[in-house]
Formats: sequence, C-alpha cells, structure tokens
Amino acid sequence: MNTVLQTKNLSKSYQGFQAVQDVSLKIEKGEIYGFIGLNGAGKTTVIRMLLGLIRPSEGTSYLQGEKVHLKHHHLWEKVGYLVETPHFYPELTVQENLEVYKKLRLLSHPDAVTNVMAQLHLTKYAQVKAGNLSLGNAQRLGIAKALLPQPEILILDEPVNGLDPAGIIEIRKLLQKLAQDQGVTILISSHLLSEIAKIATKIGIIHQGKLIQEFESQELKQLLHQRLVIDTRHNQSALSKLSAAGYSPHLNKTGSIEIRESVAVQHPENISRLLVDVGFPPAQITIEEEDLESYFLEVIKNEEGD
Amino acid sequence: MKHFLSVLSIELFKIRKSKVIWLTVIAASLAPLMASFFTLILKYPGWMKKAGLLGAQAQVAGAASWPDYLNLYGQMLAVGGILIFGFITSWIFGREYTDGTIKDFLVLPYSRVIVVLAKFSAMFITSILISLYIVLFGCLLGWFIGLSGWSGEVLIQGIGTITAATFMTIMLSTPTAFFASYGKGYLAPIGFVILLLIFSQIIAAADLGEFFPWSIPALYSGISEVSLELTWVHLLLIFCPSILGVLSTLEWWRYADHD
Repeated sequence: MNTVLQTKNLSKSYQGFQAVQDVSLKIEKGEIYGFIGLNGAGKTTVIRMLLGLIRPSEGTSYLQGEKVHLKHHHLWEKVGYLVETPHFYPELTVQENLEVYKKLRLLSHPDAVTNVMAQLHLTKYAQVKAGNLSLGNAQRLGIAKALLPQPEILILDEPVNGLDPAGIIEIRKLLQKLAQDQGVTILISSHLLSEIAKIATKIGIIHQGKLIQEFESQELKQLLHQRLVIDTRHNQSALSKLSAAGYSPHLNKTGSIEIRESVAVQHPENISRLLVDVGFPPAQITIEEEDLESYFLEVIKNEEGD
Repeated sequence: MKHFLSVLSIELFKIRKSKVIWLTVIAASLAPLMASFFTLILKYPGWMKKAGLLGAQAQVAGAASWPDYLNLYGQMLAVGGILIFGFITSWIFGREYTDGTIKDFLVLPYSRVIVVLAKFSAMFITSILISLYIVLFGCLLGWFIGLSGWSGEVLIQGIGTITAATFMTIMLSTPTAFFASYGKGYLAPIGFVILLLIFSQIIAAADLGEFFPWSIPALYSGISEVSLELTWVHLLLIFCPSILGVLSTLEWWRYADHD
C-alpha cells in the first residue's frame, strides 16, 4: 500500500493543556479516513498540524512520505483543504473569490474555476457576492476552493456543515467518486457520525486528544452490537420465562424485552418458539443494530470510565 | 518573482474592490478641501473676520501662497499619514484574520515570505497612490483659488518635502502590520495607530519629537516654526522601527501558531 498521509506521535499542548497526545495515523492512497470525536476532542488541532498551520509540540506529520515543514512548500501543490468554516472575501463574487484563489495557488488550467463551479452547482451564483450566499452555498464555495487545485490529498474539516440533505448526499457521492476514480486520499472530520459511517473506508475515534480507536469500515459491522427486541402481551412474565430458559433478558426504556447474547440474536426463531411454547407468543420480534453514534458514545463512555 | 507578482496583483485587486479603501480615499479628500478652504480664507481676509474662530484656525495655513500651501500638504501627510497609511496597513493584514482567509495564505506551494512582502508592497503602492491623489487634488484646488508665488523651484522644493515626509510616514506604518497579525484583526493595529498619533503630538509638543520616529516626518515638513534638518540619526530612528515592523510580521507569519 502507498501511505499518503501519516502522523507519528503527534502532540500539541497549550500552556499546560494537552490538546492532542500521541496521535499516530496512517492513511493510504484512495482511502477516505473518517475522523470522529466530540467538540474539542482535538480533530481540528490534528488537521491544523497536518497543514502546518500550527507546530506540534512533539511528533511529526508526513505527506507523501515527506515531512510537513515550513520550508517544504511544494507539499501543498496537490493538497486541498477546508478547515472548520469556509472562508472567502465577502465583497467579491463567487467567481472572483475562486479566481483569486486560483491565482494564489498558481493554477494554470483556464477552465478550473468554471469546472469547479459546475461541479459544486455554483454556476448560477457566480456573480453573487460571497457575503450574500446562504450557509449551504457558502459551504459549497469552501469545498470548491478545496477542490480547485485538483488535489491528490483532500483534508476536510466538517465539510457538510450547513448543507441540506440533498447537498450532503451530493457531496458524499462526489468525494466517493474522487477517491474511487481518481485515487484522491481524503481525511474527513465530522460530528455527523452517520455521514462518516456512510462515506469512510477507515474510521478513527479521537477523545480528549488521544486516538482511542481505529478500524476499517468493514470491521464496523462486527463492532456494532446487535440486540433482539421482543414485545409480547405480558413482557414481565415473558422475561421470567426467558430467564428461566437461561437467557439474560432485560426490559429497555420503552418496556420491550431486550436480549444481547449472540446465541439469541443469531437464532431468533428459537426465542420465538420458546415464547409460543410458554404461552407468550411474540407480537413483535426484531433484530436491532447499534449505529456508529451509539457505538461511538459507548466507546467514549468506556474511555472515561477507565 | 512570478509568485510575488501573482500575490501582489491579488492584493491590488482586493484593494480596488474594497469599500474600506475607497472610504479612506473619501476621508482623505477632506484634507485638501480643508486646506484649500483655510487658504481661501487667508486670501480673502474680509471673510476671516466674519468667520471668527475659523479665521484663527486658518492661520495654520500661513499665507495664501504656493510655498505655504505645499508646505501644509507635507504636514498633513506627515500627521494624517500616520492614520491613513496605518488604516491601509491594518486592513491589508487584519482583514485576512477577520475574514478567516488567512488560512488561504499559509498553505501555499511557495514561501509565506513572498505573501508578506507582496502585502507590504501593496500597502506601499496604495499609500503612494492615495498621497499622490491628495497632492494632485490639492494642487488643482490651489490652482482654482489662484495662489501666488508659483514657480518651478517652489514646486520642486514643495513636492520634495511632501515626498520625503510621505515616504517616511509610510515606512513607519510597517509595525502596524505586526499588530494586525498578532492581534488577528483590525482592533489592535487601529489602537496602535491612534496611540502613535497621540504620542507623536505629545512628544513633539514636549520638544522631544526629533527623538520619536513618528514625530520626525511632521517636524521635517515644518509643523513647528523651524523645519527639522534631517540627520543620519533621524533616518536611523525611522529605519529601525520600519525594518522591525517588516521582520516581526515576517517572523510571525512564518513561525507563530495560526489557530
């Protein structure tokens, strides 16, 4: 595999406050790395260090195998980025903002601005002053700036903020296409965990400045807990019967019976048969899967408990 | 050089598009209008009596002649320039923080030094153009008033003093860029500029002006009764904070954490 983006023991402290501690990431070419964490967990600080906006207290970042350093300017030629909120000159139009950025990045492609505006559906706002854009279109402008240099590495901090559901899907598809068709390596941070679950090929959970878990998106299925949720006419009595049969059921917040044991989740027909036999036939029996959000909260809770 | 010219052209384009700079130009237009108004009062003393207190203030303009009129412009640019050039510098550097566009300048495939130098050059060019406009507008008004004492020699001497005072004042605006970068916006540099203006007046009034860099241009252009003869010490006093302003801004852009 070709490692495109890497951090080794990256740490940052501010006057005694440890914002990031020993974060080591490795992102391969064409991978979409989803970086998740609570507000203030250290996601943006890691991104800023990766972009050389702030200097790490310890550790190093590498892009395409080369150290991120003030003097290694050429590293940024093929890097597109959006850090936190999109930024632009409010008195300039959308097109002028992109032309200014194109010139700043020394991009020569004559149609670069036209193409990126079309890609982000900004063409009809080309002559609108950026300061008058809606939140969603401002976000599109921020993403357009990130895509303008036709990057090989894309670093996006909360890229779908302010976008409507259709916009979120559109950007998701665009990023997936970039990664799959053009091999663009993408680091995406977001607090919209469902979005990360849909787009990322690898996920890292950062909490209190530490990278506490990292997994491939294929592994996520195995990590997410499943549970059997059952409703009968007399849940309390059915619960006793299930307990007597050797299961470990409990009543959840809505009063339904929940069983988490894999033997029950993998063979719900056995539970159904048992309940029919003891006179409490299930009115409803479903397998529910934990989502990334619940899993994330559980991981955070466990981490804080340690 | 290609990178530098590219950033410079962007800066000049942003300046051209900015309301702030055009408002500064409009505000700066008040100076020639006031100067010509005072001179007009001096030319027609009958008005002075009717004008009462205004007449007393008009004495600042001296006589209604070209030498005094041009001299007044030198003084205005030396004193007002601290404000005007300071505002321009605050805007050029501070707006990137206020608009959040600073991040665009820090992750580029060329050195941040180029960006800072291009910004200083844009500040220099804009300040020169505004000064030129003030002087030309003033000359036009002077011609309308019909001032006496016009000669090529007077013009060369007057323009020479104005140019020197303007250059000195522009150079002394560079530390403002550091305050804009350090303060991440407009407030800190504008506060700094206002403080400089106040100190330059107080220190000059205490007869210590020739030792305070920001008082020197005004003293040189004849704000006090006797114009200051520039020595290498004065030039050094101006050069040191100017170069310090450039270097500190460069170092800040290169090495500070940009949160």
